[in-house]
Amino acid sequence: MEEKKSDILTSINRRDGMTVPDGFFESFAERMASELPSRPEAEVTPVASRPKTLWGSIRPYVYMAAMFAGIWCMLKMFTMMNPGDVDLSIDNNRILTEALSDENFVLDYIIDDINERELFDEMYDDSISVDDMLPIDSLPIEEGADEISGNGFSPADV
Amino acid sequence: MGRELPQENEKLIERLRKPESCRDAFNEVMRLYSEPLYWQIRRMVENHDDAADVLQNTFMKAWQSIENFRGDAKLSTWLYKIALNESITFLGKERKRLSLSIDDEESHLVNLIEADEWVDGDELALQLRKAVASLPEKQRIVFNMKYFDEMKYEQMSEILGTSVGALKASYHLAVKKIEKYFGENE
Repeated sequence: MEEKKSDILTSINRRDGMTVPDGFFESFAERMASELPSRPEAEVTPVASRPKTLWGSIRPYVYMAAMFAGIWCMLKMFTMMNPGDVDLSIDNNRILTEALSDENFVLDYIIDDINERELFDEMYDDSISVDDMLPIDSLPIEEGADEISGNGFSPADV
Repeated sequence: MGRELPQENEKLIERLRKPESCRDAFNEVMRLYSEPLYWQIRRMVENHDDAADVLQNTFMKAWQSIENFRGDAKLSTWLYKIALNESITFLGKERKRLSLSIDDEESHLVNLIEADEWVDGDELALQLRKAVASLPEKQRIVFNMKYFDEMKYEQMSEILGTSVGALKASYHLAVKKIEKYFGENE
């Protein structure tokens, strides 16, 4: 329908009668070009690569060496802190060896701590018969009587 | 270079997309598109100084959002759209500044046309400008694009986001109103 142009529009023939000052478009484009703000995010000027310094070249290797040195120091420190190096065996401990060779010390501090049931279990495991043990009468009266009768327990009960 | 939109230049678009060449390419765009965009804007705002300001804003906007163009859109469509939006924004601001209603805008535009010093004295063309100024804004835009810029409906549809059918109807109505205007003012 728009193809059937009216007479008046045909006679005007797209003239709008408007003009601009001479050289307007040329000067406008030039002025705009000089006024365009810089846009670093849109315009990227390729930067010439900087000459590589000695430090720049060796830096990765220095960093890597420093890292390995740090790891070595940490391992060394952990090794020094490890108690495995300290000899804690009884044979090398003179005080402990003397104490263990003292029968009273063993009776007072070691045997005393053993529960009778554990003792009998141990004996059973080691196939030691109660009959093989010394009769209770042979024990020193004050030691054996106190120990066993204190629990209301006698070898005859076993 | 002239009032018609230049043909799409693939090499220019390619340079525009590259960050290292986009400024030079944009200067080229301004050189090529200043004139066609100016006339489009001038027909909307009806005053040379205002048209120059709006054209400047158009290119500034385009430059600020140059990344948005790095798609598949046609350069001319993209620029035309920005110019149109800037023109409508300018007219809206003027309406607000002068406290004009939409109805008052027609007489305001006619006053601008009569006061315009940058005219060639063509009386018939002046009457046509006044007739176009009497149209509602949407019809005015459609008429300018179709009649003066000889734009295809498909491109107009892309710019305005309106269907081709609606644009044809809008142009038809605009032509009828202009004929009526000339009939009443003979």
